Amino acid sequence: MRRGFLFAIGALLLTAFIILNDLVDDWGRLSGGLENLTVFIQESMWPPNWSVLEAQSYPVCENNIEFFCSVGYIGMIETIKIAFVATILGFIGALCLSSFAAKNLMPMRIAFPIRTLLSATRSLPSLIWAIIFVIVIGFGPLAGVLAMTFYTIGYLGKLQYETYEGMPSDSLEVSKAMGLSHPVIFTSVVIPETGNHLLSQLMFMFEYNVRHGTVIGIVGAGGIGYYISTYLKLLQYDKVLALLILIFIVVIIIDLLSLVLRSFVTDEGDVRKPKWLSFLMKYMEWSEGKQSTE
Amino acid sequence: MIEPLLKLSELNVGFNEDLVRNLSLEVHSGEIIAVLGQSGIGKTTLIRTIAGLIQPRQGSVQLHLPEHGGLGYIPQRLGLVRHASVYHNVNLGARASLPWFKGNREGRASRVKTAISAMGLKEKTSEPIRRLSGGQLRRVATARALAQQPKLLLADEFLSELDHTTVDVVIDAVKTLTDAGNSLIMVEHHEENVEMIATRIWLIENQELIDMTIDEWREKMEEEE
Repeated sequence: MRRGFLFAIGALLLTAFIILNDLVDDWGRLSGGLENLTVFIQESMWPPNWSVLEAQSYPVCENNIEFFCSVGYIGMIETIKIAFVATILGFIGALCLSSFAAKNLMPMRIAFPIRTLLSATRSLPSLIWAIIFVIVIGFGPLAGVLAMTFYTIGYLGKLQYETYEGMPSDSLEVSKAMGLSHPVIFTSVVIPETGNHLLSQLMFMFEYNVRHGTVIGIVGAGGIGYYISTYLKLLQYDKVLALLILIFIVVIIIDLLSLVLRSFVTDEGDVRKPKWLSFLMKYMEWSEGKQSTE
Repeated sequence: MIEPLLKLSELNVGFNEDLVRNLSLEVHSGEIIAVLGQSGIGKTTLIRTIAGLIQPRQGSVQLHLPEHGGLGYIPQRLGLVRHASVYHNVNLGARASLPWFKGNREGRASRVKTAISAMGLKEKTSEPIRRLSGGQLRRVATARALAQQPKLLLADEFLSELDHTTVDVVIDAVKTLTDAGNSLIMVEHHEENVEMIATRIWLIENQELIDMTIDEWREKMEEEE
């Protein structure tokens, strides 16, 4: 078993390398790449320019705390709002469709068309959806919300129906034998049994949509991406780096939120409820260690 | 003539090959049938075929049951919703026979509470299933069937893992169902449990099912001893 597993991994790696070798026409281009990257980071990106967290000169800041008038805050909040609304709408839309797409819940003649619809929705990246909605309804956050909602439906829908198909069959079989209706089976058996996975996927999608806010903003669909796009055009890479660090921090916070949420619907011991004090302790240990090395 | 609850006609059950052949049987109201036989001989497959979860290889299964919740099923692994409470699981039984569009929300709640009390699980009502012991899980599955009040209950080894006291409690509860005219088909290994409850025996041997009364089965057992 172990030997077979190692052989399979080896075979996959070899296949991947052969395909990569076919794609790359000149391996020599790799030489000097690291040097180029170092020069780019040292001269253009580092250190991050934290002026993005200071108030903009226009419009005049009416808040006592400058941070709330900064590009970083305004862009990030708009991105989080877009991602939040799109994730919620997309999640609900995906739940409705995926319950008809799972083979263990529906006959294939119903599941197949729904799967095809979800594949079609998913096959357009959110960037293309954003371009379509910018053309249809113009620049702004609404185009971003609609783009992300459509992509979320396709992406989450697939993850959801595959989760339902992987759930233990005994509770489903009992429900079917007892004659429970499809909505009751879905809401009272499938959702409780797969709740942990569904929440994990929901939080992952929210995180994904926040990260993707940087991309769809570039085509004018609102959010922090709009500012990143502007700084890229002005070659202000140090400001771009500061905004990317801000996104990274938000992603970590969402990951922690996911951990807390999922701890309510898992078997004890699978995912423990995090203790906030332990995070604080770890941070203090880390900062003390950093000071002592300095 | 009274219509049987279940009619098997020239039924062959199995997966790739027949496990049990040529079954032509009827089950009437109030009967308690124990399905006996060695492990792997096809008892569970027969129960699952009657439940409509496996296609018969040949022949037919006809059920003459009410449209909502007429058939109850307790599989070996019980089929409980692990990430939900005892109440939620028992309520599924009540929802099967009293669907929401027929109103009667209070009727459902009353059935659930009665079933939970009958199984001695009152203190565990809001406890998640994953925190219960093996014996408690079997009682929850039985409570679900009690709340459903099916005309025909299929139970696969639902008395295993229970201590003697709890077996008595569960059998008493199931008898309230059968006394009301409902029927039970149960797969069982323990002879003492069969003696306590069954009125009829289906003994599976060499791909054939021998249908006998409980007295005929006792005589056969004595002869074999």
